[in-house]
Amino acid sequence: MTTTLPATEQPAGSTEAWRAKDAVRTADEIARMLPHRYPFFLLDRITALEPGVSATAIKNISASDGILAGHFPGRMLYPGVLLIECIAQLAAVIYGAEGELAGGADGQVADRVGYLAEIRHAKFLRPAFPGDQLVVQAHSGARVGNLISVTGQISIDREPAVQARLAVTQRPDPTA
Amino acid sequence: MTMTIETVRTRAKTRQELCRSVKKLLVSRLDLECDPAMIGDDQPLFGRGLELDSIDTLELAVAVQEDLGVTITDDDTECLLSLNRLVDHIEANR
Repeated sequence: MTTTLPATEQPAGSTEAWRAKDAVRTADEIARMLPHRYPFFLLDRITALEPGVSATAIKNISASDGILAGHFPGRMLYPGVLLIECIAQLAAVIYGAEGELAGGADGQVADRVGYLAEIRHAKFLRPAFPGDQLVVQAHSGARVGNLISVTGQISIDREPAVQARLAVTQRPDPTA
Repeated sequence: MTMTIETVRTRAKTRQELCRSVKKLLVSRLDLECDPAMIGDDQPLFGRGLELDSIDTLELAVAVQEDLGVTITDDDTECLLSLNRLVDHIEANR
């Protein structure tokens, strides 16, 4: 668990004093768990995390996101496939955190992130526009071999925006 | 242990009903284009049987867990080889 020191006890120049109270993992900390990088690093903050079980994240949609220049010119709309990818990346955080608990180092945890194997029953209930804050939730389900079932949902202003069930894979542990 | 003919009949009927519901579950959850009644009890689920793949295996495990309350873990994957084995696993664990 992460603890935050009072501002007066922070070393000079530390950003810890400004760490948001709801940040279970900051963007930099997520980047240490995932192999994804710009422009495909999608989650801004993890606000709840139960390793191996479930997690909640925040994703802010910004007009400065390059993808919106082409999707679509004059009618900016965050692509549905990237909303699904947000859920998939959150699933990787859930299993990455489980790997950390098992003693995996950052690099090893990121190396174990596998692939998206299936998208099942995806529903897009409302579009996501610049200025929207997405609350992404993912919950782990059955596992068979290296395949893991994940249910995910995204809400905007407390209204459901996406519901989907995915199958993701985990790459074998090279040290096992 | 000896069983009365009535017990044997009841068990056989329960088993048949379970087989029927698992076949319906297979067809509906995996979007198979076949009649559940055409699936044989000994039919392999993979290869030349129903031609399921590993991703279907996961969906089947989710379906069995959600609809019948029985978990399939990595230790039980042999139960996915045929319908009869799957029904054996469900009977033994629910």
